[in-house]
Amino acid sequence: CSEYQKALKSEDIATKFKMGTELYDAGKYGKANRLFAQIVPQYRGKPQAEKLIYMYSNSFYNMRDYYLAGYHFERFESQYPKSEKAEEALFLAAKSFYKLSPVYSKEQKETKVAIEKLQLFINKYPDSEYLPEANSLIKELDYKLEKKAFEIAKLYNQIANFESEDYEASIKAFDNFLVEYPGTSFREDAMYYRFDSAFKLGINSVEYKRKERLDIAAKYYNAFNKAYPESKYSAEAEKMNKELQAAIQTYNTQS
Amino acid sequence: QENPFNSGKKYTIAEIIVTGDTNFSETTIVTYSGLRKGEVIAIPGERISEALKKLWSSNLFSNIDIYLTKTIDDQAYLEISLEDLPELNTVVINGVKKGKKESLIKDNKLTKGAKVTENLITTTKNYLTNKYRKEGFYNTKVTVTTTPVIDSIEKSRVNMVVNIEKNDKVKIKDIDFIGNEKLSDKKLKKAMKNTKEKNLLRFLKRSKYVKASYKEDLVSVVDLYKENGYRDARVISDSIYNNQDGTLSIQVKVEEGDKYTFGKIAFVGNTVFTDQQLSSILGLREGDTYNGVELKKRIADNSRPDARDITNLYQDQGYLFSTINPVEVSADGNVIDMEIRISEGKPAYFNNVTVVGNDKTNDRVIYRELRTRPGQLYSKTAVVRTVRELGQLGFFDAQQLSPNFKNANPNDGTLDMEYSVVEKGSSQIELQGGYGGGGFIGTLGLSFNNFAIKDIFKKEAYKPVPTGDGQSLALRLQASRFYQTYSFSFTEPWLGGERPIQFSTSLSHTKQFLYNPRTRDADKSKRFNITGVTVGLAKRLTSPDDYFTLSQAVSFQHYDLQNYNTGLFTFGNGYSNNLSYTVGLSRNNTYTDPIYPTGGSSFGVTAKFSVPYSLLNDVDYAALKDERAGLNPADPDDLARMGVIDQERYKWLEFYKVKFKGDWYTNVVANKLIIKSGIEFGFLGAYNNDRGIIPFERFFVGGDGLGNYSLDGRESIAMRGYPNQSLSSTDGGTIYNKFSLELRYPITLGAQAKIYALGFMEGGNSFDNFRDYNPFNLKRSAGLGLRIFMPAFGLLGIDFGHGFDPVPGDNVKNGWETHFIIGQQF
Repeated sequence: CSEYQKALKSEDIATKFKMGTELYDAGKYGKANRLFAQIVPQYRGKPQAEKLIYMYSNSFYNMRDYYLAGYHFERFESQYPKSEKAEEALFLAAKSFYKLSPVYSKEQKETKVAIEKLQLFINKYPDSEYLPEANSLIKELDYKLEKKAFEIAKLYNQIANFESEDYEASIKAFDNFLVEYPGTSFREDAMYYRFDSAFKLGINSVEYKRKERLDIAAKYYNAFNKAYPESKYSAEAEKMNKELQAAIQTYNTQS
Repeated sequence: QENPFNSGKKYTIAEIIVTGDTNFSETTIVTYSGLRKGEVIAIPGERISEALKKLWSSNLFSNIDIYLTKTIDDQAYLEISLEDLPELNTVVINGVKKGKKESLIKDNKLTKGAKVTENLITTTKNYLTNKYRKEGFYNTKVTVTTTPVIDSIEKSRVNMVVNIEKNDKVKIKDIDFIGNEKLSDKKLKKAMKNTKEKNLLRFLKRSKYVKASYKEDLVSVVDLYKENGYRDARVISDSIYNNQDGTLSIQVKVEEGDKYTFGKIAFVGNTVFTDQQLSSILGLREGDTYNGVELKKRIADNSRPDARDITNLYQDQGYLFSTINPVEVSADGNVIDMEIRISEGKPAYFNNVTVVGNDKTNDRVIYRELRTRPGQLYSKTAVVRTVRELGQLGFFDAQQLSPNFKNANPNDGTLDMEYSVVEKGSSQIELQGGYGGGGFIGTLGLSFNNFAIKDIFKKEAYKPVPTGDGQSLALRLQASRFYQTYSFSFTEPWLGGERPIQFSTSLSHTKQFLYNPRTRDADKSKRFNITGVTVGLAKRLTSPDDYFTLSQAVSFQHYDLQNYNTGLFTFGNGYSNNLSYTVGLSRNNTYTDPIYPTGGSSFGVTAKFSVPYSLLNDVDYAALKDERAGLNPADPDDLARMGVIDQERYKWLEFYKVKFKGDWYTNVVANKLIIKSGIEFGFLGAYNNDRGIIPFERFFVGGDGLGNYSLDGRESIAMRGYPNQSLSSTDGGTIYNKFSLELRYPITLGAQAKIYALGFMEGGNSFDNFRDYNPFNLKRSAGLGLRIFMPAFGLLGIDFGHGFDPVPGDNVKNGWETHFIIGQQF
């Protein structure tokens, strides 16, 4: 029977506390966590609880159980708002949610929660040493949401075929995207693909809608060209625009 | 700003004592109250009432009071006085059967230790009274009495006695209508769905009096009049008498009023549809009997979401915000002129379309299936179809899929759509071991239905396998002493991610050994290997309608025999190749749950054929056929020559095979009882009759239909009520057909497990050549079964089938057979 097993079975909470702290300091978070879990209820309300609960929360964090880490850090912060660890705890709580955020192409519930929590942290501790990291985490999460919306709009562009209304869906999705994320780093790509969708829709359009659609495409080209005159897409866009202008020209000569 | 309520004088709490009959410790109660010694509070004030509230909300005490016993300067001495609520000790229920008691105790939470409040007693009493009244015991009396347990040591407890006097069921002797001339008593009584006269012959719905349903039935009576044009009909009075024999009599006085007819029906406000279009949907004309119920139904039928009514007509053209109101504009005599006032509103376009809940599946796998996209016109049909098709992907729980309308804005004509999905486990593991075929058979099968092959080298994607791209991957290993099978298959539903072209490929390898009678083990020197590769593409079509799929596949199989002399092959050392092309056209619009479709149909026709080699090579098959016919299999030299001839015939297999299969699902009782009717047909033929029909690719009818598919291209056709493959000759049939009828009833369709029971009747048979073929010469069977689908295990089932006809070579009917079904659907 190892000492750890003895401590686990022991009735004495002080032994568990001591052993747990040693294990925690040695970086054995999983083992420490099991001991802490046993004694947290008994220590509630006692002076040692502050340290204990902090270590307990942090052991979850180090075990990568971010759901529980976030929960316990938040509770720690609200129970001991005056603690010198409160600021760090709130930050780690928010960071735990950040860690839970999945890849951009899946549901972003956790991402939104993480942004909210990080923002709350920044509002509460505007002078925190963690501020730069918090800001960069928010930026990363924002980027994820942008990428999600961008990729969906781009998907509509990719899977569209000429018979259907999919290009319209793509245009609408890019419109919505540009309104919702005005400062996005995908702005250039979004404007280009919006033009691309409008161009393909117009060129392949049924006759009675063609003129109107070509005009819309021209409008999107101008918007793109004005915003990004030296884009990586310029050559391609230029070529499409030439074809577009030629198509529009036929209507002008007819009338 | 100071709250006047808090303006009481400030005191410091010097002491809190607890009095009264309680088993809780003083500190517990004080802590729970939230008041603390040394705290400065206002008296009277918020803190005191908060403490009272908290104590009450614990549901543990009664008679709670907080007293200010004395004050010394600004020191307050408080007393909390309370009593523990008594706990329930024993319950005795009189007047019902023993079996019922437990469920009553459970329903009312009368468990030992429950806190006995006034509320508990009253709700129990009401619950029981109502319960039995609903069952027709109108004179039910319930009394609940409690007696304290005399025990000074333990906490206060009570014993409860519940007396239920159900008395006799109250039946209705007769229902009498007064004032009805136009509609007979009989018709009116029929309209009363739950209130029936006593009648010995009717035993599905017994006569009973339940007040609530009686009131509903009176409304139905009036509705019946309304349906027949008596728009002013009403119930003037109704009275209920107690008869001597304990029954009731009901007397209903009605006033029928006059019969009305429809006058002119005008449409107002319609710009999208013409009056003619609308009135053809409305289906009511001037002179028709006035029928308010039908009118309502034609405008908006709430009982069927896909009904052909005016509301849906507008809804499918994007007019989400349209409202349609029938108004009676004039009633001249008994003729009512109607105006159908339509406010069309703006057509609604989808703005944002989102999906939530996909914590495994990647966005694009879902978004590419959506039929409602940003900027598109709203259509109810498209929404319904999207939900259906998301369900069919098999990644989400079909019962929990829901379209949520958000931010509907009639002024801009926009709405947001959010599809809420719940992921379900779509991977299956099969691990089996058992005895069969002369020895131990072990099977390891893995199938992942939402796989992401691009993530297979990413360590962090293994949770526990990479998922989310909608691909399916299956691996299967099966081994016994006599054979080994390895197979691998992979499917990508959107090849290249841009078009819905499904790509699938599979590889398989099978090794079989002959039995060595001396060592009773596999004889490794006598083996038969089959190696196969298949690559296929399937494309969704847009015409004739977009439920069609066209599929094509090329497959190659190599059979390699070494010293493998059986009845099946005359050449023991040799090989055979099967290169074939399959083309299939299928249509599937079953919905919603792929495990338990409640409607729609699926059918498919496939043709599989090889290159007509005999046209291209110069072998004289007719001569070979003649020579073979003249040989004697008993003579070893002749047998060897037959082997050589057969090797020539089967070097490259030459054949064509046509199959048809159709299933129809009909909903008998809304989403409950489903009839599945099916028909199947298959034919295997040869281009060159001298070369003959190949011994591979044949049909084996009978049994559970589970078979070693990859063995030699053979197809096992399920036919319950008969042993496996018993309805075909040993070499297999070349033509078969099958008809089946199955009635399905769902027991549960939850996410954890879907269970349904079924009853079936089927008939089918196989034939060795077209001359013998007779579609009416069927082997018939009928039986019952059960299916259980659990996400981790797939489909499991058992069927008991009774074969009414003898199997070939027998002359008594086959009788009962039990079939176990794993992972396959009938």
